[in-house]
Amino acid sequence: MNATYDVVIIGGGISGMMAAITLVGCGKKVAVVSKGDPVCCFSTGCVDVLADGENPLKGIGSLPEHHPYHLVGDKGIAEALGLFRGIMSAEGIPYVGDVHANRRVLTSLGRSKVTCLVPETMDFSDIDPHESLHILSFHKMKDFYPQYITSRYAKAAYSTFDAGVTTTVGIAERFEDSDFLDTFTTWMRGLAIQEERIAVPAVLGRGSSGAVYHRIGGECGRTVFEIPTLPPSMPGLRLFGGLKNAFLRRKGDLYWGRGIYSVEKLGNQIEAVTLTGPGRSTRVEGKAFILATGSFVSGGLQASRDAVMETVFNLPSYLPPGTRDAWFQDDFFAVGHEIEKAGIRVDASFRPLGTEIENLYVCGSILAFSEVMKYRCGHGMAIATGVAAAKACMGAYSGI
Amino acid sequence: MAFDFQHCIRCTVCVANCPVFKVDPAFPGPKQSGPDAERFRSDDEPSIDRWIRLCSQCKRCEVACPYGVNPAEIILREQTRYGERHFRPFAQRLFAHTYWVGIVSSLFAPVVNLLTPRTFVKKVLSLFGLSIAIPFPLYYFHTMDRSWRWKGSRNSRKKAVFFYGCFINYNRPDIGRGVRDLLASLGVRVVIPRQVCCGLPALGNGDLETARKFARKNARILAGYIDKGFDVIYTCTSCGLSLTRDYPGILDIADGKKVAENSYNLHEYILKLMDEEYIRPVFDPLRRRVAYHIPCHLRALGIGYPAARLFEKIPGLEVHILEDNCCGLAGSYGFKKRNEHTSTTLGADAARAIKAVDPDILVTDCGACKMQLGYFSGISACDPSEILKESLKVTDPGI
Ligand SMILES: Cc1cc2nc3c(=O)[nH]c(=O)nc-3n(C[C@H](O)[C@H](O)[C@H](O)COP(=O)(O)OP(=O)(O)OC[C@H]3O[C@@H](n4cnc5c(N)ncnc54)[C@H](O)[C@@H]3O)c2cc1C
Ligand code: SF4
Ligand code: SF4
Repeated sequence: MNATYDVVIIGGGISGMMAAITLVGCGKKVAVVSKGDPVCCFSTGCVDVLADGENPLKGIGSLPEHHPYHLVGDKGIAEALGLFRGIMSAEGIPYVGDVHANRRVLTSLGRSKVTCLVPETMDFSDIDPHESLHILSFHKMKDFYPQYITSRYAKAAYSTFDAGVTTTVGIAERFEDSDFLDTFTTWMRGLAIQEERIAVPAVLGRGSSGAVYHRIGGECGRTVFEIPTLPPSMPGLRLFGGLKNAFLRRKGDLYWGRGIYSVEKLGNQIEAVTLTGPGRSTRVEGKAFILATGSFVSGGLQASRDAVMETVFNLPSYLPPGTRDAWFQDDFFAVGHEIEKAGIRVDASFRPLGTEIENLYVCGSILAFSEVMKYRCGHGMAIATGVAAAKACMGAYSGI
Repeated sequence: MAFDFQHCIRCTVCVANCPVFKVDPAFPGPKQSGPDAERFRSDDEPSIDRWIRLCSQCKRCEVACPYGVNPAEIILREQTRYGERHFRPFAQRLFAHTYWVGIVSSLFAPVVNLLTPRTFVKKVLSLFGLSIAIPFPLYYFHTMDRSWRWKGSRNSRKKAVFFYGCFINYNRPDIGRGVRDLLASLGVRVVIPRQVCCGLPALGNGDLETARKFARKNARILAGYIDKGFDVIYTCTSCGLSLTRDYPGILDIADGKKVAENSYNLHEYILKLMDEEYIRPVFDPLRRRVAYHIPCHLRALGIGYPAARLFEKIPGLEVHILEDNCCGLAGSYGFKKRNEHTSTTLGADAARAIKAVDPDILVTDCGACKMQLGYFSGISACDPSEILKESLKVTDPGI
């Protein structure tokens, strides 16, 4: 049948996209259905793997017993991250870093953030407070204040360029225009910058960030790096764009902007999902399904007074034991809130526990015990479990 | 729908996806124009947001928003509210009535086509607030409503009415006749009933009443056919969006729901016929490299990219899907002088992406995209149905 996909992936975040690309890479016919753009669009674009300690992969061993990383294992994680890097390089958005070593990047708040893989434009972002730095900012740029950084870095200075626009998206768009880039570099040379490194808020183009970045570096003869901004965050958008285009390039099909309205089952098999929307609804049929709808922030999970619901298949979800009062914590932002453990529990091949459905796999931040904020393992866990769930699905359905 | 703005978490995903916001600093973007401003609006107070017109209704914000807010719809409502109370400039009035413009222009097609490229005519139009950055489309006398009105056997199990839309009717009737013949060759009885503009241009130019008038008329005609077992086929993705979304939605007309539930994109329909094993078409190879520019309104339809799925069945066809750019013309939006900068900047951007894949041909479903991108890329744009026709060897008798 024409409308039947080998695998239908629900949720177009990093985990869903990585699963999708893995499957199309093996010749499967794949559709991704997504209600909207994912969380990575407003992230820094840096791939956190596990922020504690020097070597994120070493830290995996000491994670609690049920953490989803254990289902993938160090080797699997390293392989998945390698696959991710290959994909992004081919899309012209190369990532740098070593999966065995964490690194720091400077944030727009003047603090540094521990992460693992970073876009090449942030390669030189790991800066010591005693190093000298020149920030090239933009006149009246929204939500970016170089003073946050200069107040923390004694040898940091800044200059502002009038881009004619003040928003991240607007300035990034300007950098796609070569005349604008010429004007900018001329201005920059005129500054005769003495500092060792140059930092720019992450607005160096949309898709052409690599070319813009190398041009600026070449012209000033210094190491340059981008500082991730508050959303809209260009590195996050580039990351999403890269994965999405990699999927399209491999002949994957997208159904974007629609959630799931209903699910059709035959016995223990899910046969199709129907998308929300006006008019006649679109029906997407699959042999197997992968659920990658994210956690609370993306709507994969929804909390009520006394339960946590999975929103597509109504899968049984894990909630910390006891009543809410037992695990209630006044400070939501304190590291390690119990609610972060909520989610879907899976078996060794990423199939949800406690349901009779047979052709369903789950990956990404919707997985129980992932505790993304506590362990700072966001994109890394999404990549690793996305690839692993895709492989498990292929293993079980060699016929698809 | 009315309270969806309260679900906005201010993630800015819509802002990052808005083509107008990228290039026009005067437009505050979907978040501020939509959910943010909505909480200060009241039906008892007049609409005062001048910049509300700067939204081109491309719907990219809506497709991107993960929280079901639908900024485009909030903005559209405000645009019509603004339109009710404020003077609408000549260009807006003109483009609300592209249907009548089309009727007159096609009647005098040779004269109109001779005049519009003339410098003095362009100057005059420019004085009236029209953009002359890209050439005006050519008009044809031999429109769809002057073409053969049915095709295929009366005894076919599949019956369809073809809603062709203004662009095909007046500016590219050859594509329309091709669609008719393609469907007939697939064993579908095609009927082309009398019809008027879908109403989208009027709606987009702040004229809700005119849009409703058009929609009511179409819905009455189409519903009559639907009751007789016909499906409705559209190829223009903006007409499609209007039929499936606006008829039962903002226009809220009788039979709107019926029309919405029975309307199919052409390629979606062909796939359906294949799924039902009604047809087993054999696609001949076409050795070509195609840049397929996805129109914003095809994305907004939420049906995936059905033409691309058909292209996959054509041996030798190498298809590059480009879905990150809005062509910028957005129907009549870019033909207004105020929007010229936005439209041409976006058009040039999208053309760059097309040229980067170095295609033999450019394919796109939407008429506005065809005009704009054909002009900016220098590669003439064709319709997905033309590719299918060629691969399926459907000959065009041309009447
Ligand atoms: C503000 C913020 C910043 C972050 N920054 C970083 C960072 O810098 N580095 C890092 O490594 N990690 C970061 N993280 C964590 C990381 O972003 C996530 O853990 C990870 O990207 C999750 O990916 P995912 O694929 O599991 O889900 P998501 O990215 O949440 O994607 C889920 C997708 O599913 C879709 N969806 C949901 N419900 C449905 C439905 N019913 N039907 C269809 N589709 C549906 C959603 O629209 C969404 O597109 C950040 C998280 C947040 C909240
Ligand atoms: S409208 Fe949607 S996409 Fe835009 S800021 Fe609000 S929640 Fe985010
Ligand atoms: S419809 Fe298009 S132009 Fe209008 S606000 Fe949304 S993204 Fe911007």
